Amino acid sequence: MSTTTTRGVAQPAPAKASPARPRRGLRGNPTVNFWLFTGPFLIGLAIFVIVPIGWSIWLSFFDARYTVTPSHFIGLDNYKQILTNSGFPDSLLTFTVFAAFIVPTTWALSLGLALLVNQLRFMRAFFRSVFFLPTAVSYVAAALIWKMSIFSGVRFGLANTVIGWFGADTVAWMSNPTPPWYWLVIVTLRLWIQSGFYMILFLAALQNIPAELYEAAAIDGAKRGWQTFRYITLPQLRATSTAVILLLLIAAYQAFDEFFNIVGQKATWAQTPLMELYKTALGTSQDYGAGSAGAVILSLLICLVTLVQGKFMGFGRGDESK
Amino acid sequence: MTTTAPRVGKRRRKDGGVLGNAGLYVAVGIAALLFLIPFYLILRNALSTDLEITGENWKLLPSFQWGNISELFDDPTVEFGHSMVNSLVVAVLTTVGTLLVCSLAGYGLARIPYRHANKVFYAVLATLMVPTAVTFVPSFVLVSSLGWVDTYRGLIIPGLFSGFTCFLFRQYFLGFPKELEEAARVDGLGYWGAYWRIVVPNSLNFFAAIATITFISAWNSFLWPLVIGQDPSSWTVQIALSSFMTNQTVNFHLIFMATAISILPLVFVFLFLQRWLVQGIAQTGIKG
Amino acid sequence: MSALSNTNWSRRSLFRAAAGMAAAGTLAACGSNNGRGGGSGSGTQLTQYFHAYGEAGTEQALKRYAAAYKKADVSTNWITGNNFESALFASLLTKKAPDVFEFHPQLQLVKSGQVADLSDIIDPVKDDFNPNDINSHTVDGKIYGIRMIDDPQFFYYRKSMLEKAKVEVPTTLDELIEAAAKLTTSKVKGVFLGNDFSAIQNPIIWSAGADTINDKNEIAYHTDGVVGGLKQLRQLFTSGNVLLDAPTDFWDPSSLNQGLCAIQWGGMWSMPAMQQALGDDLGIFPFPKIGSAGKLSVYNGGWSIFVNAKGKNVDAAKEYVKWLWIDQKQYQEDWATSYGFHIPPRTSIAGGATKLKSGLAAEGVKLFTDYGHFDNIAYDQTMQTAFADVIASSVRKNGDPEAALDTCDKKVNVELKKLFG
Repeated sequence: MSTTTTRGVAQPAPAKASPARPRRGLRGNPTVNFWLFTGPFLIGLAIFVIVPIGWSIWLSFFDARYTVTPSHFIGLDNYKQILTNSGFPDSLLTFTVFAAFIVPTTWALSLGLALLVNQLRFMRAFFRSVFFLPTAVSYVAAALIWKMSIFSGVRFGLANTVIGWFGADTVAWMSNPTPPWYWLVIVTLRLWIQSGFYMILFLAALQNIPAELYEAAAIDGAKRGWQTFRYITLPQLRATSTAVILLLLIAAYQAFDEFFNIVGQKATWAQTPLMELYKTALGTSQDYGAGSAGAVILSLLICLVTLVQGKFMGFGRGDESK
Repeated sequence: MTTTAPRVGKRRRKDGGVLGNAGLYVAVGIAALLFLIPFYLILRNALSTDLEITGENWKLLPSFQWGNISELFDDPTVEFGHSMVNSLVVAVLTTVGTLLVCSLAGYGLARIPYRHANKVFYAVLATLMVPTAVTFVPSFVLVSSLGWVDTYRGLIIPGLFSGFTCFLFRQYFLGFPKELEEAARVDGLGYWGAYWRIVVPNSLNFFAAIATITFISAWNSFLWPLVIGQDPSSWTVQIALSSFMTNQTVNFHLIFMATAISILPLVFVFLFLQRWLVQGIAQTGIKG
Repeated sequence: MSALSNTNWSRRSLFRAAAGMAAAGTLAACGSNNGRGGGSGSGTQLTQYFHAYGEAGTEQALKRYAAAYKKADVSTNWITGNNFESALFASLLTKKAPDVFEFHPQLQLVKSGQVADLSDIIDPVKDDFNPNDINSHTVDGKIYGIRMIDDPQFFYYRKSMLEKAKVEVPTTLDELIEAAAKLTTSKVKGVFLGNDFSAIQNPIIWSAGADTINDKNEIAYHTDGVVGGLKQLRQLFTSGNVLLDAPTDFWDPSSLNQGLCAIQWGGMWSMPAMQQALGDDLGIFPFPKIGSAGKLSVYNGGWSIFVNAKGKNVDAAKEYVKWLWIDQKQYQEDWATSYGFHIPPRTSIAGGATKLKSGLAAEGVKLFTDYGHFDNIAYDQTMQTAFADVIASSVRKNGDPEAALDTCDKKVNVELKKLFG
């Protein structure tokens, strides 16, 4: 079924070139070729991505409960409702704090792992695989392990077994928000799943730093360790760091799966913006209008954060330097 | 920085000595152990009886109940084997389709001189900002009106047009050596010919990297298959997994065995493809 | 073709393009596996949506009933996970919407014209139904859904554990808190109220002598008794005597069966599984009184069947629903008593259901009759979510119950205004 396409993409074409002919006509016409190459993607994008986005924006101005083809225009009422009479503004605040914590932490952990692995001479591939493997696990499966086996509140949970050895009482890691142990549950899960992927990005970047730079620094008298890291490695990783931070930021604001499975919807804390929108639009009240209004606000916010971050850290400079 | 760096032998590694090296390996070893704990738990629980899992005292090693595997596949309420096949079909076709569609578009945006190419690119980029979980309902209504509920089409096609993947391909192709293509031009190849004969064969690392990432996310996606695959015959493995959690009298050993088996194909994909993954990513625009 | 060859397309690139299209074609072609058996029946296709019941055999039973229906070909969607609502409501917006679905009575469903008026098929047998089950589905004199099963929820307890700790069955919330303390050991927690306490959000209102909303559709839950109950629950929550973060929630019998707790809130559907695991070491009691004006209470939940008024085959769907949920009494009894225990809403069936006549099941029926509170069709999911937030912020978090109820009032009033103007 799929063999035709596999061949089309992956098989190296025979090296033999066809007889040279002058470039003329449609084959060499950039405009025609541009649309030929991008056409299929753009058509699909228009149908399956842009139409739903436009639909959502349209819905946000209508009284749309239990329907996605509403007729009652209500102006900005949905925006007013989602901003004043729901948990949505709170969730935005919570997740700004969450992002401020999880983004640097993941950045530091994945960079740290990459630095460690990069120095290994033996078993490098093995350790790289170990750190990367969690990327393969779905949030559904990971939430299940965390919830049922590690941070289960009962006597056979791993965390409670371990603290039990030291004589401590069992802790309700997730249900009881004081103290907020649920952050420990979520943050460890997120770090476990995500770090390996970003480690690979850093690893790739580290391998691209010319060895000459370090040698030159050594001759200039820079001490190995912190000094070379601070003045050579870090600046050389600037572009990768920028991209990683951007991806992490978007991921933090769009967090959903593990919060949905671990904190659940029956809580007033740690509700991610997407969970609030899910509750509004899909879960219980089926209010697609207010849900869409929140989505518009969230999208604008992510746009804004991206632009600001780009301004400060120079996203896209990598393109120009090419 | 000195412009004329004298060469000091070959690439010199840090020679931290025996002690430094041992310290390094201890640090990596501890980190690796922490990362492996969840995998250990999955395997331990998958091969235990429920009593061993829920018992009062922690058991380090399970009693190796290999029969749990056949029990899982024989369970009539959840067609686990069938859902694995569905997941495989969906993940493979999604990967192939995404590579095809997004690589072409990424190449077009990066390398074909067209006046409005940048505007098109920014439009694609903008779609990344909108959380898909929220455009989810209109998407579903749309796909459903095409009659694609409970079909492979519905599971696969809407997921092919990933702005993010297109973005990655564009970044990569921006860095693709121009000389190679120019050589192709001299041979009289058009854009299309040059793409298939020169660009793709020289980019297999990167294609493998994107294939890995796409395959993982297709295999692991949950909410979309949940609404599209309404009939159990079109369930993917993630849906089957979640249905084990809702059965009455939760069977811990079955849940964890299902989890273990659902992860297995990805572990293989990883072990085979990760070398190319690192190389491929080293070539992306992400490196800067 | 000839036009194309003029434009210098090499044959190879044409082949490549064709291969791409062929792949797209294959994608399209391999999509028609929709799992619907065609052929049998008279050609009318009906789809019904059910959430995944946990009890073994339920799915097969439902499909067996559907297969016995000769006038239409009925296919069943069995929605797994805790996403039944999303899947159901998303589908209701589409052309592939189910013709028949199960849900709880919701005024919004009636107002938006989503569910069909079933008065004509229910009226002839109206007197055979529990009047409460008719009331909870009636809007302006019309009946919009058929109750399939009533599911009382109450406390289960291990008799042996209470005897050992010399604890009487609690009748007030204070006694329950005390009992939980006495029953808690290093390995067993005193009481399990579900992982997030939202399962008892209605019972604490009723047990405090209040109501969700009253006959005039005004807020009735905001009383001193409820505030007092929330404070007591906060005390219980922080006492360390409550089972939290159990691997399964209140709807599953595992926590009690595995000896993780001595008392568990649960539904009558769990009774057969608990009896199988624990034998006679099992008793039940209603939610205890809260405060001086308190009353014992039991939450009579359940599931009802509705016909999608916007569907293509409303009449055929009504006919099917009438056949299965009005006429086929043996199926109705099988559904209510052969898997988990549920109470049939029809007096004639409940009267003949031998499994519910004796022992603990009979006690369950008695609690249902004596202390049961039914769903109020106007107290919809939005309001229930608002009240779940009250539990979250003033029981699980150390928030002020009054302030939490004020926030809830605001949301409920907006909703009431939307429904009743």
